[in-house]
Amino acid sequence: MNTAPLTSWEGAEAYFTFADKPALLVLFTLVGIGVCVYTIASMAIHENKSYKDM
Amino acid sequence: MEQSVPELMARLDSLESSLSMATTINSEVFYWWCTALMLAIHAGFLAYEMGASRAKNALASGMKNLIAFAFLIPAFYYIGWWIYLAFPTGFSISDGSEAGLPWSEYMGPNLTDNASGIFYAAFTLFAATTASIMSGSVIERIRISGFTILALFLGAVVWVFGASWGWHPDGWLTTEWGLHDVGAAGAVHTVAGFFTLGVLINLGPRIGRFNADGTVNNINGHNMPMSLIGLMLIVMGFFGFLGGCIIYTGDTWMTIYNTPATLSAFAFNTLMGVAGGMIGAYLVTRDPFWMMSGALIGVISSAPALDLYYPGLAFLISFGGGCVMPKLNDILVGKFKIDDAVGAVAVHGFGGVWGLVMAGIFASGYPNVAGPEISFVGQLSSAVVFMVLGFAPGYVLSYILKVVGLLRVTEAAEVAGLDKAEVPASAYPESSVPAAFTNDPTSPTPAE
Repeated sequence: MNTAPLTSWEGAEAYFTFADKPALLVLFTLVGIGVCVYTIASMAIHENKSYKDM
Repeated sequence: MEQSVPELMARLDSLESSLSMATTINSEVFYWWCTALMLAIHAGFLAYEMGASRAKNALASGMKNLIAFAFLIPAFYYIGWWIYLAFPTGFSISDGSEAGLPWSEYMGPNLTDNASGIFYAAFTLFAATTASIMSGSVIERIRISGFTILALFLGAVVWVFGASWGWHPDGWLTTEWGLHDVGAAGAVHTVAGFFTLGVLINLGPRIGRFNADGTVNNINGHNMPMSLIGLMLIVMGFFGFLGGCIIYTGDTWMTIYNTPATLSAFAFNTLMGVAGGMIGAYLVTRDPFWMMSGALIGVISSAPALDLYYPGLAFLISFGGGCVMPKLNDILVGKFKIDDAVGAVAVHGFGGVWGLVMAGIFASGYPNVAGPEISFVGQLSSAVVFMVLGFAPGYVLSYILKVVGLLRVTEAAEVAGLDKAEVPASAYPESSVPAAFTNDPTSPTPAE
C-alpha cells in the first residue's frame, strides 16, 4: 500500500500518510472518535456489572 | 579577499535563513520541554489524589487521572484545538479556524509548519490539567465512566471556549473589556473550579462526610506524604505550564496578548507567588496539605499579571490568596455542605477569581495591544464570565448523568471501596490495611 502523498521531497509541505486523501483523514477521525465512545460505553457496562456482582 | 556584491548578498541571505531556522527550532524546543515539564502536573495530580483517598479507593482515584489524561489527548486533537481557533469573537466561527480541524494539512507532519504541533501539544496539556482540577474533588464516589464524560467535556470543550475568549490575542474579553490573564487563571482555573462546583452539587457528599445534625467529619486520605509530594510535583509542572503561556518570537518574548514581556518576569513572580501562597495557607491552617495547596493558590493568584507585577507585590497578593482560600473552603464545606475532597473549588475556582480581581486593582491602567487598558471592571466582569462558563455546563451535564445513573457509584460499592468494585488490581496486596486507615465509618476500628 502506497500511503505517501509525495514522490519527491522537493517542495514538500504536508507529508504525513494519506495527506492527499482528505476523505480517509475524515474516516480515521470518525473511527478514532468511535473507539473513544465505545471504550467509554464499555467502561459504563463494566461498572454496572461490577456493582451488580457485589 | 574582496567579494562581489552579489556574493555578499547571497551570503547575507544564507545567514538570514540560518538565523530564521535557528529561531524556529529554538521555539519548537522551548515548547517541547514546556510540554514535557507539564507532565509533572499529571504525575502530581496522580500522587496527590491517590494519597488523598482512603486505601480502599486509591487505585480507582488514580485510574481517573490516567483515563482523563489518555482521553483528553485525542479529544483535544479532534475538537479542542479547532474550538480554540474558531471562537475568539464569541460563538461565531472565525476565518482560518479550519487549520485546526483534524483533517487539516496543519494537523500532522508538515515541513512548512513548525508551530501547530508544538502548540497543539502544549494546549493539550493545559486541557488535561483543566480536567484534572475537577478530578480530586470528586474522588471516592464518582463513576469512572461519568467522570470521563465530564472530563472530556470540560477539557476539550468548555475551558477551550474560555481560552478562546480570554486567552487569545483576538479574544473578545480582551478586545472588548481589556482582560489581562497571562497565566490563564480565569480560562483554566476559574472555569475548572466552577465546573467542579456544578458537578459536586449533583454528585453529593461521600457517605459519612456529614452527620445528621450537619456537623462535618474529616475523611483523611491514606497517604498524606504521597499527597504532599504530588502537590510539589504540580508546582514543578507549573513552570512548564507558565513557560507555555509566553510566546517566543526569536528576538523577544511576548504574552499571549502580544504585549512585550520577559521570561525573567515570569520567574520572579511565579516563585514569589508560590512562596506567598504557602506562607499564607500555613498561617491560617498549620496544615501541610493546605500549605502545599497554598503553593497552587499562590501561583494562581499572581498568574493574571505575572508579566507586570513587582515581585514583592506578587508575594503579598499570593499571601492574601493563601490566607483567604482555605477559609472559603471551610465555608463551602461547613455552611453549604459541599464535599470537595481536596478543596479544588476554593483553590482553583475562587483562587482564579482572586487573581483576576487583584490584577484589576494592581495592574489597572496598563495598555493592551488590542482593546482597552486593564481595568478593575474589565477583570471583574471577565471573572464572572469564566464562573458562569464553568458552572452552568458542569451543573447541567452532571445533572443529566445523575438522571441516567452514570454519575455516582452504588452505595454498596462506595462502602466496599471503589478499587474492589471497579479495578482488577490491588493497591497494597501484601499488607492488610487496618480499618482505621481506610477511615470507613461503617467498619470497626481495630480497637473496637
